[in-house]
Formats: sequence, C-alpha cells, structure tokens
Amino acid sequence: MSELKRTQLYDAHIAAKATMVDFGGWEMPIQYPEGIIAEHLYTRSCCGLFDVSHMGRLLIEGPERLAFLQHVLSSNAALLDLNQAQYCIIPAEDGSAVDDAYLYRFEEDRFLLVVNASNTDKDLAWFEPIVKNYDCTIKNITSETVSIAVQGPKSEEILKKLANVDEVTKPARNNLSTLMMEGHKVLVSRTGYTAEPIGYELFLKNEDAHWMWNRLIELGGKPAGLGARDTLRMEGMLPLYGDEMGVDEAGKPMPIFALALAKFAVSFDEAKGEFVGKEALKKQAAAQACFKAKDYNPEAMTALPKRVRPIALLDRGIMRHGMEVYRNGEMIGWITSGTMIPYYMTEGEGADVKLLPETGKRAIGICYISSDVPVNGEVEVDVRGKRLKAVIPSKHISNNVPPYVVPVIYKQK
Amino acid sequence: MTIKPELQYSKDHEWVKEEDGLFVIGISDFAQDALGDLVFVNLPEVGDAVTAGEAFGDVESVKAVSDLLSPVSGTVAEINEELLDAPEKLNEDPYGAWIIKVSDVSATEELLDAAAYEAFCAEA
Repeated sequence: MSELKRTQLYDAHIAAKATMVDFGGWEMPIQYPEGIIAEHLYTRSCCGLFDVSHMGRLLIEGPERLAFLQHVLSSNAALLDLNQAQYCIIPAEDGSAVDDAYLYRFEEDRFLLVVNASNTDKDLAWFEPIVKNYDCTIKNITSETVSIAVQGPKSEEILKKLANVDEVTKPARNNLSTLMMEGHKVLVSRTGYTAEPIGYELFLKNEDAHWMWNRLIELGGKPAGLGARDTLRMEGMLPLYGDEMGVDEAGKPMPIFALALAKFAVSFDEAKGEFVGKEALKKQAAAQACFKAKDYNPEAMTALPKRVRPIALLDRGIMRHGMEVYRNGEMIGWITSGTMIPYYMTEGEGADVKLLPETGKRAIGICYISSDVPVNGEVEVDVRGKRLKAVIPSKHISNNVPPYVVPVIYKQK
Repeated sequence: MTIKPELQYSKDHEWVKEEDGLFVIGISDFAQDALGDLVFVNLPEVGDAVTAGEAFGDVESVKAVSDLLSPVSGTVAEINEELLDAPEKLNEDPYGAWIIKVSDVSATEELLDAAAYEAFCAEA
C-alpha cells in the first residue's frame, strides 16, 4: 500500500484536532471537533472553509488545447470567455462518465481542468492516448498549488475585505477573477460543491496556503470537513463520482443523462463537432426530454432505464448507499447517497428569507431508480431488512435566490 | 474524556449500572466521541431477549451505522423512548442518557471497573 498524500494544510487540520481519513489516496479531514452537523449549519448560515487541495488540477496548454477539450469533454468549451468556468463531464464512448470536472479559463492561453482526487490518475491515463493527437499538453499541477473552497452567505464579505475590492467576481455563478489579497495573488472562482448561492473556490501557490487559511478563519470562516461537504452536496443534488456517476450496484455503467444536470453539462452544438460518447449521449438526451414531458415510451426507457433522483424517507430511519428501492414489491434501483441532514427553519420568501435559530434534521438522499417514477411518487426502501416508506420529491432545497439555501420539506398528503 | 467511577464498562464501550434489580445500559463518553454526531437510534422492544456480546440495537451517525452490543443476557424491561426523537442526548450526556434496562440477567460480558476501563481506553 502506498503512503497517503497530504495537502499543504495537513498540519493545520491536525492542530485543529480534525479526524483524518483516507480519501482517494489523500489523508483528509472528515470533520473537526464541532462535528459534521455544526459544520453543515455554519456553512448554510455563515461561511465554511474546505481544503480541496486534494482535487486534481490539470493545466491544458498549447495551440490545439480547445480542440482537445471539445473532443474529451461533454461541454462546449468554446463558449468560455476569459474569466469564466463551466461544469462538464468526461464521457466514455458508451455515454457513461469517466469523471466529472470543472473547466476554468483564468488566462487567455490555457485552461485549468479540476477533476476528482480519486480519479486524477485514471483521468490522466484516459487522456494520454487522445492528447497525443493534438498539439497541446496536460500538466498536473496538483502538488504545486492549493485550493480552498469558501462557501456560504458570508463568503463574499470575507473575500471583499481580503482583496479590498467592491466586487469579488461578476455576480453570477461561474465567473472568475484574479485578485491581489494582502500582497498574494489569488485565483477566485464563483463556484462550489455546497449548493450555496454564494460561494467561491480559491487557487493559490503552496506557500500562501497557511496565510490564506488563517486569514479566512480570522475573518469569520470555519473549517469544515469532507463529511459536511458530502451532506451539503447531497442536499443540493450535486452528484459524486462513485455514487451518482460511474457504475451502479449491479456493476452497469450509469448513463450521463441519468443526471438531471447533464442537460447543462452536455452540448451538441455544431461548433463543438464530434466528441467521445456523442452518439450514445444524443439517445440519452432524447430520452430525458421524453421523461420531462411525462412520456415513458419503451425506446426512451431502454436508452435511459434509470435516473438519479432525490428521495426523502417518510418512515423513521436512515437511507444509505447501496440500499434497494422498491415500487409495489418490485426492485427498481438503489440509494446512491443518504444520511440524516440538518437544516435551518426559515421564514419569508425570496431575497427576504431569514434563517431562524431553530434547526431540524431529515433523512434524505439520492437514488438511482426506474425512470418512470413520477415526482411525488411513493416508493419503499429496504433499510437493513425493513421496508420503509419514501417519496421522490422534485428537490431537497431551493437555492436560486441569494443569500440563503431554503430547505424544501416534503409534506405528506 | 469522562469516566464515571460508579459504573462498570464493557470492552465494547457500553456502561452498566445495577439499579433496583435491573441492569441499566448506555454508551460511554469514549464511545459517543468516537461515533460522532448521532442522528438515529434503533431500539429493541420491551420483552425482547438480549444476549451478551450480541447487537440489541444500533446507532447511526451522519457517516455510519454502528451496532449496540449488549453487555448482558436477559430481557428488555424498559427502553429510553426519548432517544428516538433526540439521539443527540447520547452525545450531550452519555451517562445520563441510558438506552435500555434489562431484567432477568443470566450472564454478563467481562465488565471492567472505571480504572480498568480507563486503562483499556488508553490502549485503544
């Protein structure tokens, strides 16, 4: 067994008494002493800090960098202007996912592609035979840089102070900027994996890691571990490779369009041209469009037999990855992610939403089930031998109006 | 970490107290700390038989499920129903938040006194 890798902030996590675990070959904090629930809630109400330096950071450089990316990614990379980012998937020929990724354009003449830590080596191996056909290179800069996610309602205020600016990035998601913060150069991206309406990811040089981490804490951010990162992304229905992407419990590849967000990540634009998995993905996209119109015809059901959906438990218990989901006694899929997730009670609507001091918790998750289950459809989950009632809601949270995430609590009729 | 001198402990980190002919069972401070935020408890029903060394229920944290292993064999006489709605009490007050009370105890696991349990935890 090879030794676990450590990020530049490893000693800061140890000093903060974090519980460390092996995550994708990296020794990472799963939680700090306050615990996952407190870290989740602090991110929702204030500002959580996440060391995400373990994620794979790849620089794509050279004259044919765009053509290469258009071929290996699902998105239309030509749409990225300077200082913009986009979510994308790395498709396999059969229309399943090799990985998902984020593509950033901080500079005119290169792209930054950030991939899952546990998939970095696999992705590099996947790209290797393809990139040879293009006049461009892939440089793995993971160990030379650090990345910190600053997520939650107070994140913007904190970064404004550090950079002494009125605007951190342009206001909407996926905007980027390069800022000087107290004499240090920081690449800033209005993105994240917490479903927070306001949140940033920072990219810095290794030597700036501790300065940045400490200043973010001094200004009101609190470290949050991988545990809270998981509950936050689950609430927001953000997929995790290995759970909602890759292969299912039966070992079958999961189609990319099983994910609702595939429609934002996959482009069939003519300008993009041919790319890996395009034909398979077109069939899946057509099926997804049928389902949207509540048309569950056999052709669509064959192209996309199962979809990734939110699920909320109605009986007492907790759903976990791998548990079977049933409809009228028939097994129709599995739980892909699930746990008990805390939330703030809220009052008011839209931009006037206020978080109340009271909190609740709910057993929710994500499942991969037969595509023809309608919204609000009732199912059962086998929770260690007991069949518990559950429902397929449309979503777990509403996060379209900053600054707060509002939980959408399913009410039984 | 707190260890109450008046209690006995199993090597599975449950505490045991004899009270009015019943064996009161809970989890130790060491256990609750290692388990993390508890968000769900599965309890047996009154009248169920429990066996020393075997699971009588389970607790779930945000990340995982862990069996509760009975330190004694006997019959469940009472369960702490309050925990069903407030499993966090096991984190907040592990020695106050008893889980079950067992009657007709016929056998027990090896139980440690506070000093021996402290030494056992130090090795863990």
